[in-house]
Amino acid sequence: MRDNPVLRIVAKIIIPVILLFALYVQFHGDFGPGGGFQAGVIFAAGFILYGLVFGTEALRNAIPPGLLRFAIALGLVLYAGVGATTMLLGSDYLAYGALAHDLIGGQHLGIFLVELGVGVTVSAVIVTIFLAFAGRNDP
Amino acid sequence: MFTLTGIALLVTMVLALIRAIKGPTVYDRILASNAVGTKTVLMIAVLGFIVGEPDLYIDIALMYALIGFIGTVAVLKVSEFGDLGQAQSPRDGDKS
Repeated sequence: MRDNPVLRIVAKIIIPVILLFALYVQFHGDFGPGGGFQAGVIFAAGFILYGLVFGTEALRNAIPPGLLRFAIALGLVLYAGVGATTMLLGSDYLAYGALAHDLIGGQHLGIFLVELGVGVTVSAVIVTIFLAFAGRNDP
Repeated sequence: MFTLTGIALLVTMVLALIRAIKGPTVYDRILASNAVGTKTVLMIAVLGFIVGEPDLYIDIALMYALIGFIGTVAVLKVSEFGDLGQAQSPRDGDKS
């Protein structure tokens, strides 16, 4: 499909919009619809469109599978690390109030970090699943 | 007014669904399902105005439009090539 000019140009125009919208869903999730999981899926959808139009080999060159595995683990470590940090600060697991001096600031920071971890892990997992399915015939 | 618009959209969605079910070729079905997706975007936006929170529903409609485009591309690729992963046409010299 790389030799189809319409699809190639439209994909190149629309992929940055999808990634930007994913970041908007991620960071605006407190006020509108969205959150970490949805943002991760939309972010992965941008990569999936790239893989569909330019092939899984180009997608593997753009984002190496080793980096994907690292991102899967990184999001989980970020999520669990926030919980462990609140435990180390003398509160319960994932009790965000202990992260800052006031309760509201701590909850903002804690939910931001946890949702960021969820988003990183989900996007990496979705891209990995796409590569596992679509790239099974690759040499 | 918005309710009337929603009903009209639902009627056109039913018409497109009939074409998607009856459609003799696969391209009829893809075109019909694509039309249903487009009307779903409009339906979400109209629903936002009916409920009274248009700014929330516009976000969902935007996301549906972006993801629906990717779904259409994926279905077209599978129906044309039978494989999701490759970059070029399987037949040599085919510029489709």
